[in-house]
Amino acid sequence: MALSYSLREGLAGFRRAKFAVIASTMTMTVALVLIGLFGLLNFEAQRVADLLRQRVGEVELFLQDVEDPVAEALSQRAAAMPGVIETEYISREEAQRIFREEFGEGAEVFFDELFLPASIRVRVDPDYATPDSLARMVEQMSRWNRVDEVVFNQPLLVKVQENLRLLTLAGLALGVVVLLAAIFLVANTIRLTIYARRLLIRTMKLVGATDPFIRQPFLFEGILQGVIAGLTSGLAVWGLYRLLVRYYPELAVPGGWLGPVLVVGLLGMGVLLGWLGSYAAVRRFIKSISLH
Amino acid sequence: MIEFRNVSVSYPLPGRARRAVLENLSLRIDRGEMVYLTGPTGSGKSTLLRMIYMDLLPEEGVVQVGDYRSDMIKSSDIPYLRRSLGVVFQDFQLLPDRSVYENVAFTLYVTGKSGAEVKSRVLGALARVGLSHKQKRYPHELSGGEQQRVAIARAIVNEPWILLADEPTGNLDPAVAEEILKLLIGLHRQGMTLLMATHDYRLVRTYPMRTLAFMSGQLVEVDPRTL
Repeated sequence: MALSYSLREGLAGFRRAKFAVIASTMTMTVALVLIGLFGLLNFEAQRVADLLRQRVGEVELFLQDVEDPVAEALSQRAAAMPGVIETEYISREEAQRIFREEFGEGAEVFFDELFLPASIRVRVDPDYATPDSLARMVEQMSRWNRVDEVVFNQPLLVKVQENLRLLTLAGLALGVVVLLAAIFLVANTIRLTIYARRLLIRTMKLVGATDPFIRQPFLFEGILQGVIAGLTSGLAVWGLYRLLVRYYPELAVPGGWLGPVLVVGLLGMGVLLGWLGSYAAVRRFIKSISLH
Repeated sequence: MIEFRNVSVSYPLPGRARRAVLENLSLRIDRGEMVYLTGPTGSGKSTLLRMIYMDLLPEEGVVQVGDYRSDMIKSSDIPYLRRSLGVVFQDFQLLPDRSVYENVAFTLYVTGKSGAEVKSRVLGALARVGLSHKQKRYPHELSGGEQQRVAIARAIVNEPWILLADEPTGNLDPAVAEEILKLLIGLHRQGMTLLMATHDYRLVRTYPMRTLAFMSGQLVEVDPRTL
C-alpha cells in the first residue's frame, strides 16, 4: 500500500505542481546536456590526443643492407613487441620515392644512387607511447642484428606529453566545475519545488507519517524527472553529435556505439541526479520544518 | 494522561539572549478531560501544545503523553505518538488541491491504511462533523466554519484519544465559533481528551470547563466564570 501510495502521489506531483516540476525537469535537462556535451568534447579530445601521441611516438628502425626476407623477419619481430600495433617496411626504393615527394624540386641531384637505408616504421598503442617505454623499446631494438639505428622523436613526444597532461588536468577541472554547477543547479531547483509543497509535508508530519514515507513520493517524482531529463538530454546530445558527424565525418566513432552509450549514460545520470537532489532537499526540509 | 514535570523552554532572541516561555511548569491532564488553555498572545499556549505533539522538546523537565516520554522518545517514534492525537489549527491547514474527502483520507493513507477501511472511516468522520454532503468540494468552496469542520474530521479520523485545538475559533465569526466549540464539546463527551488553546473568554464563560491561564509567565488554574 505504502509503495502504491508513493507512486500515485509521485505521479500526482506532476499534475499538482506543474510549473515547479517543469522548471526542475528543464533545469535538469540543461544540466545534463551540459554534462553530455562536455563528455563528448572530452571523448573526442581524447581520441585526437591518442592519435597525436601515436603519430609522434612512431619509432623508426634503420636497417643495414639487408635482403627483403630478413627485413620481413625483423618487421615481424618488431610487430610482436609489447605495445606495438602496426609495422610498415619501407624499402630503399620506397624511401627514395618518399624523399622525392617531400623534397620536391632539386631532389634529382640525389637520384644517382639509392643513398637512403631501408627502414621499419613501428606504430605503438597510444597508451604505450610515452618517452620512457619507447626509450626502453628503442634500447632493446638497437641490440638486434642487422639494425643500424633506432630513433624516435623524443623531445617532441616529451613536449606533447606535457601539453596533453596539462590539457587533461584543465579538462578534468572544468569537468568537475560543470558537474558541481549541474548538481548545485538541480539541487536548488528541486529544493524550491519541495518548498512549494511545504504545506503537504507539514500536514504529513502532523498526522504521523514517518520520514521515509514522506520522502518516498518526492524521491519517486525526482527519479521520474531524472528519467525524462536524461532521455531528453541524451537524445539532444546524440542528435547534435550526428549533425556534427555529417559535417566532420572524422569525428565518427567506428561501431556506432557512442549514441546509445550517451543516451544510457545521461539517463543513468538523470536518475541519479533526480534521486540525490530530491533526497537531499526533502531530507533537509523534513528535519527543519516546524509544524506550527 | 498528559503530564508536564518541571518543564522549562525558551526561544532564542537576536544575539545570544533567550526568552523563557515556560519555566518549571508542572501540569497533569487526565484521559477524558476537557481543558481550556487561555492567556494573551505569545504567553506560551501554542508552545505548550507543540510540546505535547513533540514538535518542540523541553530544555529541562519531562513531558509525558500516554506512554511516550520526551526524554526517552526516539525521533523515529514521534510519528507514532502523533497518530494517537489529533491537532486542529486556527488557519485550518487543509491541502487546497484536494477535496474534502481526500483531505480527510490523507491522514489514513499516510499511516498505511487502505481500501474499504479508509472509505468507511472517512465517511464516519465527515458524518460526525456534519459534512457528508460536501465530501467532493474543495477547501476554497467552503466557508471558514466548514473548513474548520474538515480540519476536525481530519484530526479525529484516526480515532485519537487526545484532540489538541490551537485557537480553533480564532478565524471565525462568533456564531460559527460557537458551533465549532459545540462540536468539540460533543467529541469530548464521547470520551476524547480535549485541550483547547483560546483567548475567546466569552466562549469559555459560556461553556465552562477546567481552565488554565498563563498569567505573568505562570500557568495557573482559574475559575472560568471569573474571566
